[in-house]
Amino acid sequence: MRIAKFGLLLALIVGLAFLGCAQQEQPKATPTPTPAATPEEKIPDKILIGGTLSLTGKYSKEGQMSLWGIQAAIKWVNDVHGGVNVGGKKVKLEFKYYDDESKKEAVQSLVERLITSDNAMFLLAPYSSGLTLAGAPIADKHKVLYMSHGGASDRIFEQGYAYVVQTLSPASEYMAPFLDMVKAVDPSAKKVAMVYEDSEFSKAVFAGARKHAEELGFEIVLEKTYPKNPTDLTPLLSEVKAASPDIIIGGGHFADGQLLASQMADLKLDAKAISILVAPALPKFYEALGTKAEGICAPGQWEVGVTYGPEAAKKSGIDYFGPSQDEFLNLFHEFAGKDTMPSYHAAEAAAAILAYAKAIEEANSLDTDKIRNTMNDLRFMTFFGEWKIDPATGKQIGHKMVIFQWQGGEKKIIWPPSAANAEPYYPIPTWDEKAAGKLAKK
Amino acid sequence: MMPFFEQLAGNLVYGAILGSVYGLSTMGLSLIFGVLRIVNVGHGPFIMLGAFTAFWMFTLFGIAPVISISVALVLGLALGFVVFFAVIKRLINAPELSTLLATFAIGIFLEEVAKFIWGPDHRGYSWDIGSIDLSITLIPYSKILAFISSIVIAYLLYMWFQKTKLGAAVRAVVEDSEGAAACGINVGRIYALSFAIGIGLTVASGVLVTLFVPVGINPYMGHEYTLKAFVIAVLGGLASPWGAFYAGFIFGLIENGSYTLLGTIPGVEPFSLTRFVAFSLLLVILLIKPTGLLGGESK
Repeated sequence: MRIAKFGLLLALIVGLAFLGCAQQEQPKATPTPTPAATPEEKIPDKILIGGTLSLTGKYSKEGQMSLWGIQAAIKWVNDVHGGVNVGGKKVKLEFKYYDDESKKEAVQSLVERLITSDNAMFLLAPYSSGLTLAGAPIADKHKVLYMSHGGASDRIFEQGYAYVVQTLSPASEYMAPFLDMVKAVDPSAKKVAMVYEDSEFSKAVFAGARKHAEELGFEIVLEKTYPKNPTDLTPLLSEVKAASPDIIIGGGHFADGQLLASQMADLKLDAKAISILVAPALPKFYEALGTKAEGICAPGQWEVGVTYGPEAAKKSGIDYFGPSQDEFLNLFHEFAGKDTMPSYHAAEAAAAILAYAKAIEEANSLDTDKIRNTMNDLRFMTFFGEWKIDPATGKQIGHKMVIFQWQGGEKKIIWPPSAANAEPYYPIPTWDEKAAGKLAKK
Repeated sequence: MMPFFEQLAGNLVYGAILGSVYGLSTMGLSLIFGVLRIVNVGHGPFIMLGAFTAFWMFTLFGIAPVISISVALVLGLALGFVVFFAVIKRLINAPELSTLLATFAIGIFLEEVAKFIWGPDHRGYSWDIGSIDLSITLIPYSKILAFISSIVIAYLLYMWFQKTKLGAAVRAVVEDSEGAAACGINVGRIYALSFAIGIGLTVASGVLVTLFVPVGINPYMGHEYTLKAFVIAVLGGLASPWGAFYAGFIFGLIENGSYTLLGTIPGVEPFSLTRFVAFSLLLVILLIKPTGLLGGESK
């Protein structure tokens, strides 16, 4: 009996191994051109885009912003644009979403559910690289396009997924413009300290930053990480202080970025320029820290006031698609209320919807592979900036980051000069000067 | 070598301050477990309520967070009574799973109500009252106030337990609730009072948390403290509020002190290892003394 059981088990293992090999031998799912869709491709009455959003849990803030952005963009496509032009029909977009509670496990099961039971034709990934990465294999397995609007990590696009594309700039590009700015303003600045969260997203950002800093001739005097959700960063920051860097770059997500700035102030850890990921991009950063926030920079995907519009698109010789910035703001306020201004999370999520609409129109089909192929050659501009992907990986290469700085209580765009509405303030006031009321304003 | 010792000393000072906050934030958990034998899994959200109390008192009325400690204590006491009579009272002798589920649910309920009312933003306030230069490190006075307040509150609670009749009654119930009832102590009332004090302490410790870190105040901030509070409570002997206070100190010192020591090992990211070290030490202590630092005989 025992032998029979053992034999059965062995047979099962061998069988499974063969099955595994057989699967490996299958050609990798690359977006090979499918035969042109039949001329009578049946165009449905609506296009269902599915997505998971973090409406509760630690990304609930970003998730809510994304939702408002998505709703605004869909309203533009359906009501202003009249629907997506495909197969001679104007087809309306519909968005079906679930709250993933900022949890990876939830993302996986919800993505599966959106595809198999709701029959979503296209997917939007949730906010953050970790969550985006969680849903990617499921979407790719079902060959459904999965657009990242809040997952910036480069690693998402290094897994060989054929149906995962990106709308925002990848993480490796985040800190590059800040370092360019320092180099341009003060060629004598040399020593850079990097302190960042030990997470998918920030590791990718700072791997890119390290490479770029070395290319520019900076010296990395300290590079340290801290675990997620830290309650006290003083041990780490004391070490940074001992290294007396000219420039400090760091952060991860909102909470730790806020903590970083607050505890730098406690220890009076001064630097000529400080750039923190994510946190300074939101007005709550300044509300919480007050004048301590003066002079602190952050990279941003987008900011109200950037100059992308039909004019800029014309200058670059590309198409413009979607609402103008003012139109977007009006639509956004319809959903979010008059007093809420969109953060970049809203803009990038809206841009993802617009990219789907544009790609479907260009492909003139709802066939996934056809659309994915069209995306390879697609280059256009929305109010969020340029959109162009790397055909091989799906990574965004068209969109560029901007750098902003808190100056006199206002968030000013200081870099690149073409998008800037203020000069960089450099070096920033010391913590003592800030405590005495000095602002980073000329 | 000097910078090494300076950094170590500086980190230990910060560790002690943080530890005192950890300690106070765990005392409530231990008290409730000690008296009612209920594990409050929804511990963290009560800390969050305290943090929001400090935030709103400061932002709306400009009231210094130190004063908010007493406000939070009173609010916490009231909330403790409400929660006790609405939920906990029915669960005193219920199976463990029921109490775990109920306290877990209370925690989620508080978080979601907080999110509904205040939104998911990470808030913060800036209460600048200067800082003291110890030459090894700078310490803001607000953090020193957190340290002093936490010791004072712990001491006052200790005195209340030891010197008052009610305190003695609580101790009697901890010792033997049936015996206490036979002696004429209204055990139900002691349960209510202990639960309320436990919640009051926890909410008050939320104010201290913001004195240490005045940013990152949001509905879900309690999670980090729940986990640490459980470790500290076990380390301190689970049912002993004083044990929890000492254990909090030790946890803070190890968490921050080990950073500098681990930093001397080449190729190691010290910060990610500090928690590992703190938790490993917990294992070692429990191996040597399974009842925790100040725990008596295990029951």
